[in-house]
Amino acid sequence: MNCPPDQCLVHVVDDDAGLRRSLRFLLESVGWKVQLHASAEEFLEVATVPLQPSCLLLDIRMPTMSGLELQQVLYERGIHLPILFMTGHADVSMAVQAMKSGAADFIEKPFKDQVVLDAVAAAVRRSAEAVQEARIRAEAVALLAALSPREREVARLVALGQPNKLIAAALGISEKTVHIHRQHVMEKAGLSSAAELARLMLRADPAALD
Amino acid sequence: MARAVLMLRPLSDMNALNSALRPELTMAGLGRASICFLGYLAFCAIFVFSAAARASNKEVAIGVFAYQGERAAISDWAPVLDYLGDALPEYRFRLDIYDAHSLRKAIADQRIDLVITNPGYYVTMEAEFGLSRIATLVSPHVATADRAIGSAVFGRADRADLTDLSSLGGKKVAAIAPDAFGGYLIAARELQKQGFDPESDLKELRFVGLPMSRVVDAVQRGEADAGIVRACLLEQMAGEGRIRLDDFRVLSPRQEKGFPCATSSELYPDWPIAVTHQTDRTLAKAVARALLGMPEVQGGLSWSVPADYQPVHELYRELRVGPYAYLRDITPGAFARRFWPWLLGILAVLIAWVIHTVRVEYQVHHHTAELRDSLHARKLAESRMRENQEQMEHLSRLSVLGELSGNLAHEINQPLTTIGTYARSVLRRQAGGTLTPDAVNEACTEIANEAERAGGIVKRIRHFAKKRVATREPVDLSSIAGEARRLIAGMLARAPDIAIDDRSKGRCQVLADGPQIQQVLLNLIKNAIDASRGLPAERQGIQVVIEQADKRLLVHVLDRGVGLDADQQSHLFEPFFTTKPDGLGLGLPICKTIIEAHGGRLWAEPNRDGPGMCFSFSLPCHELSA
Repeated sequence: MNCPPDQCLVHVVDDDAGLRRSLRFLLESVGWKVQLHASAEEFLEVATVPLQPSCLLLDIRMPTMSGLELQQVLYERGIHLPILFMTGHADVSMAVQAMKSGAADFIEKPFKDQVVLDAVAAAVRRSAEAVQEARIRAEAVALLAALSPREREVARLVALGQPNKLIAAALGISEKTVHIHRQHVMEKAGLSSAAELARLMLRADPAALD
Repeated sequence: MARAVLMLRPLSDMNALNSALRPELTMAGLGRASICFLGYLAFCAIFVFSAAARASNKEVAIGVFAYQGERAAISDWAPVLDYLGDALPEYRFRLDIYDAHSLRKAIADQRIDLVITNPGYYVTMEAEFGLSRIATLVSPHVATADRAIGSAVFGRADRADLTDLSSLGGKKVAAIAPDAFGGYLIAARELQKQGFDPESDLKELRFVGLPMSRVVDAVQRGEADAGIVRACLLEQMAGEGRIRLDDFRVLSPRQEKGFPCATSSELYPDWPIAVTHQTDRTLAKAVARALLGMPEVQGGLSWSVPADYQPVHELYRELRVGPYAYLRDITPGAFARRFWPWLLGILAVLIAWVIHTVRVEYQVHHHTAELRDSLHARKLAESRMRENQEQMEHLSRLSVLGELSGNLAHEINQPLTTIGTYARSVLRRQAGGTLTPDAVNEACTEIANEAERAGGIVKRIRHFAKKRVATREPVDLSSIAGEARRLIAGMLARAPDIAIDDRSKGRCQVLADGPQIQQVLLNLIKNAIDASRGLPAERQGIQVVIEQADKRLLVHVLDRGVGLDADQQSHLFEPFFTTKPDGLGLGLPICKTIIEAHGGRLWAEPNRDGPGMCFSFSLPCHELSA
């Protein structure tokens, strides 16, 4: 677990108050932070793109908006977090639909506590990875955002491994000017080699060097 | 004519109307229309007066039957005619001479107002045309009018073999005509009284026709052995010098008191004068009064009050002639000829009655059929509706169960999950050394609450299962099975064959709640079908066997399906145990509850002789009250 439980958040959406509370009791007993929501609508009011590793324990069968519908709305809003569906009785077609729509797992009620805890742990781990990736990308984007347009052009060609002479020819500037831009880029991004620059640019945008 | 008198009445009525209207008209003033109307009234008045004047010369036709020829008749009746002319000057009397046939026609044509004829024709036409006599003739030298006419049967005096009527057998006899009164019929009746039939027992019966003297001639010339004439004819002819009385002998002569002639028969009333039913009553009365007052001196004739013609009727009836001719031969034909109007009427009534009866019968039949059809249709509709209702009920019961299964699963899962989660979490915290008293408190409170909630749900299931335990009626398991089969066939598109084998022979009376038992059977059959789903055809059939064992009725539902392993069998009747992907696991427990509530048992065994299961339940027999 590359995320300490107290820095991770588990959302529980279930119309059954008793079950909701029992899940909090269980999850808190292993240190997870838990947020309870009585309905899909209630969760949607507070749902944002997760800034910390988190997951959603979601009851499929609820009176107004069902679990599957909530899943759909979250996808449309670009809120990506692992969803663990819970259902009262095994419904294969429902499960298939849920998994196709990207559900992380499917938990059948009544469940064994370990199954829930394992599923939550796995989901949170995936979430943590996703959050980490997002943070790295955001840092790279932020570093590159500090470059001037000309510096960005030079940086891209440097990252592609081109010598100064060719870059100067491609951009129609002097070789000396290329050298100065290159130094500025390395200073601003805190880098020391063209390889490091290339890695940074790919983090910010996997298609940057295509 | 008498009918002119009848015409007077409406005209005089009009006259009365005139005087009644006149004052009103003068009061209204004399307009142009009024003048026209007065002119019309004047015309009416003139017409009335002229009609009255003509009435004073009214002609009355007296039809007379001339039995001795026209001239004789005129001379006979001239005195009467003259007398009537004098006595009733307002009428002009006219004598019309007829023979028998033409007289009848004249009466039929209403050409005559008064009829003078012999008693025989009178009686005939009394019946036929409604003639009504107003006086009877009293002939000269005859004492009473009702004993005035007889027949003389005579032979030549030189015929010693002819003495009385009985000696006529095998002889040739001459008579006037078959319908001649004195000239045949009276004598015929007399012969009949003697015991023989003049039509068959004589050698020959010859009718020589009028005048009557022809008969005398025939006898005299020997053409006939004997002759029949009106009594007094011989005396009359002798008086006229035409014959000698001594030449003839009257057979079986009678000397009737007050009757001057020899007669071979009894005597009958004299000729009547009669009116037709069209004859004016005033005229009839006037003539009758005049005739009764006619003095005897005139021609020796006189008139008396109408005689009793009953003897004439009797004569005709005995001889079965004239109006009684129908008595002669009561053959169907004769009967039909005489009574054809009646027969026709009766036939018409009969036909009408038959038609009516047939029509009524048809209508009754038709309406009954209609009624029966509509009743039948209603019955069908009702039974169809009942069937549908029953099916609906069962379907809904099943679907309620299905519905319930989903809800129950969810509902019961929630508390179970909650309880389990709390309990394990407590254990987990205990192991991790993080269990606080607050946590124990929270967990236990929740566990207790959720357990109660689960209990409530279970109670509801039980209530549902118990809901219908009420009635106990005699039920026929065989028909319940049949109905279950029908319902299954209606509910499932491809229901397998369900064979029902009733071996109980109806000796066991089961008291039960029919619909519940059916629900159990439906459930067992449904399970059997599910167990054989997807298997080859030879393993599809389901068998329902009903048999009796001791004092219990056993019902087995056998399938050749996939069967159950030992573990499954041991949990079969536990609630929420199921082998079906979408099953609830409540069907068999509910069935078990129902059967046990009926004092029976429900169990399952693998088939001994092949694959599949046999689900059985027993129900106690009730003593049939002897």
